[in-house]
Amino acid sequence: MEVVNQGVPLEHFLMLSAVLFSIGVYGVLARRNAVLILMSVELMLNAVSINLVAFAVYTAPSLFVGIIFAVFVITIAAAEVGLALAVVLRVFRNRGTANVDEVASLKW
Amino acid sequence: MGDAWVLPALPVAGFVFLLVFSPWLPRKGDWLAIGLMAASFVLVIPIGKDVADAIDYGNFHGHARSWQWMNVPGYIEIRMGTFVDQITLVMLFCVTLIGLLVMIYSTGYMKGDRRYGWFYAIISLFVASMLTLVLADNLLLLYFAWELVGLCSMLLIGYYNDKPSAAEAAKKAFITTRIGDVGLLIGVIILFTQTHTFNIQHIIVEAEAGRIHREWLTAAAVCIFAGACGKSAQFPLHVWLPDAMEGPTPVSALIHAATMVVAGVYLVARMLPLMEVVRGMPELITGIGLATTMLAAFIGLAQRDIKRVVAYSTLNSLGLMMVALGSGAVGAAMLYLFTHAFFKALLFLSAGSVIHATERQEVDKLGGLWSKLPITAPVFVVGALAMAGLVPFSGFWAKDEIIVGIRNGHLGNFPLALILISLPITALYMTRVVLLTFFGEPKDEHAYEHAHESAPAMTAPLVLLAVLACISGFVVFEGVGKALGFHSGWLGFVYNLAEGPEKFHVNWGLAISSVVLVVAGLAGGVWLWSGEAKRAERAGAFSPLTYQLLLHRFYIDEAYQLAINYVVLAAGQAVAWFDRAVVNDAGVQGTGEATSFFGWLGKFSQTGKLPNYALAIVIGVVVIVLVAFGYRG
Repeated sequence: MEVVNQGVPLEHFLMLSAVLFSIGVYGVLARRNAVLILMSVELMLNAVSINLVAFAVYTAPSLFVGIIFAVFVITIAAAEVGLALAVVLRVFRNRGTANVDEVASLKW
Repeated sequence: MGDAWVLPALPVAGFVFLLVFSPWLPRKGDWLAIGLMAASFVLVIPIGKDVADAIDYGNFHGHARSWQWMNVPGYIEIRMGTFVDQITLVMLFCVTLIGLLVMIYSTGYMKGDRRYGWFYAIISLFVASMLTLVLADNLLLLYFAWELVGLCSMLLIGYYNDKPSAAEAAKKAFITTRIGDVGLLIGVIILFTQTHTFNIQHIIVEAEAGRIHREWLTAAAVCIFAGACGKSAQFPLHVWLPDAMEGPTPVSALIHAATMVVAGVYLVARMLPLMEVVRGMPELITGIGLATTMLAAFIGLAQRDIKRVVAYSTLNSLGLMMVALGSGAVGAAMLYLFTHAFFKALLFLSAGSVIHATERQEVDKLGGLWSKLPITAPVFVVGALAMAGLVPFSGFWAKDEIIVGIRNGHLGNFPLALILISLPITALYMTRVVLLTFFGEPKDEHAYEHAHESAPAMTAPLVLLAVLACISGFVVFEGVGKALGFHSGWLGFVYNLAEGPEKFHVNWGLAISSVVLVVAGLAGGVWLWSGEAKRAERAGAFSPLTYQLLLHRFYIDEAYQLAINYVVLAAGQAVAWFDRAVVNDAGVQGTGEATSFFGWLGKFSQTGKLPNYALAIVIGVVVIVLVAFGYRG
């Protein structure tokens, strides 16, 4: 496989991925809307995928392991979103809200 | 000699067979037990002949044969087997003969008993255990047999298990002998750790060569002697023996004459070469024996139960044997054991015959039975005279040999003086029990009227034992010994091990003085208790305190009871408190309560709010990462 861009070093990809991951974490912790939390989780997954692909290209370009992993991550993310959105939808139907602070009936 | 294992195997087979099949056998299978016992007795004779032949060839130190028992490759191989020498042979002869006679006697005494088959099964096992004990060539097998003997004695003493006093006596016998048994076990373990063998002969060789550490050897000798004290009812542990007569009388005879109490004497005789290596050990053995003898002699004077008097006379004899062993006179001790087996079995069995006839056993309820029991009465008198040691009954020769042994020993004149003092006292209480039982006026008319001589099954063994009690002492003479196939007489036969054959030699001074003392004792007894026994009552009233002391056996039982109440039970209560407060309340209950408390505390982390969980996950990841990187440095 051909190297994408000799001018961009690996660290840049890692920084991008770290920033993206942190934004995702912040979103998960700070948002109260369930849909937004799900979107933040997607951000974190994407950050991981970037990491995987970047390491694959820079360290073992002849192997496709990292890239294949990224494809798996995308697949699982799609499945997860389908499932999670269905859950959120049911919660909204039953309780009339998607605010996670108000959905706390599993308390002690 | 190598096939001696058959001797215990036969009664064991009888035991197993009777245990399973006795309800369906005619006469509950007593003929089977007696037959196997008789076979066992007959088989002793060829073994005896082999031993006598081997001694004639000279330099006979026992015949050993063993098989592999347990094997831990590279570490230890434990063998079990038989060891036959002269001491073993004496024991084999006594045990099988007394066992056989007791079994025959029991067909009359135990007739119609509820658990007749069980009785014969346990008697068979009892004899088999004792035979194993005396044949064992290693201490481990000996210990197993030792415990089996204890178990059987407990079962038989508590045979009348619906009687509380019998159950108590059985418990007492078991626990008291157990105390000694623990000592024996510790001794065996010490010897094993020091020599890496259980074989008795090897251990003795090691000890004599001085290859065992002296402190360990001393500890082992004392522990083993403690075991012998428990079984042989020596002074501090003697309390179980007089109570053991709660069992059926044939059992008492067996316990006192052949299968139980002489086990301790046998053990000390067997281990004597080891004990003599330990400094102070002969003195200890002699001291304990003397204490037992004197104690029993005095207590015997005041006891009311005919069997109890005979029981104390056993203690008296056992003490005497221990004294002989302490003086190194193994031959004399074994000779006394041999003759004692006959006259003590005789005394017990004829006492049983009296009880069987009158259903009374207190001497102050008996009396005047001489004409009513024409066989039992004379044989009891023969037994009593042999016990007292009057010439020419068997007890005299053995006792005389012991006195000579003590004289030749190196323990000074003190033991000799005490033994000489005990002689007239023994004669005194044996006279007392004879006079109160068979002479004078009958004190209980009902019992007297119904008294009748026992069946031939009971009187025949009595007569045979009486004959043996008369003549068995004559084996000391060289001529008699030779005629019976004993090379150079009895003592040479029993103890020609290291010092070469001892010869029987009459020490006229000692023999005459012992006879004089015994006759004085007998005469004193007749003077005190003849007729209405008024003189004896006056003697008792002269010092009521002494009389009470003797009647209550020096309050030793009471002292033990007090010790149990205040020491053992208090310790038990402390342990019970510890168990309840610490183990149960704090340990078991506390663990549960602490768990549920922390569970209650921990449930508040479950807020049900998604952001809290998310935050916990993130913090967790951060901590893990920090720790991981921290480790890496």
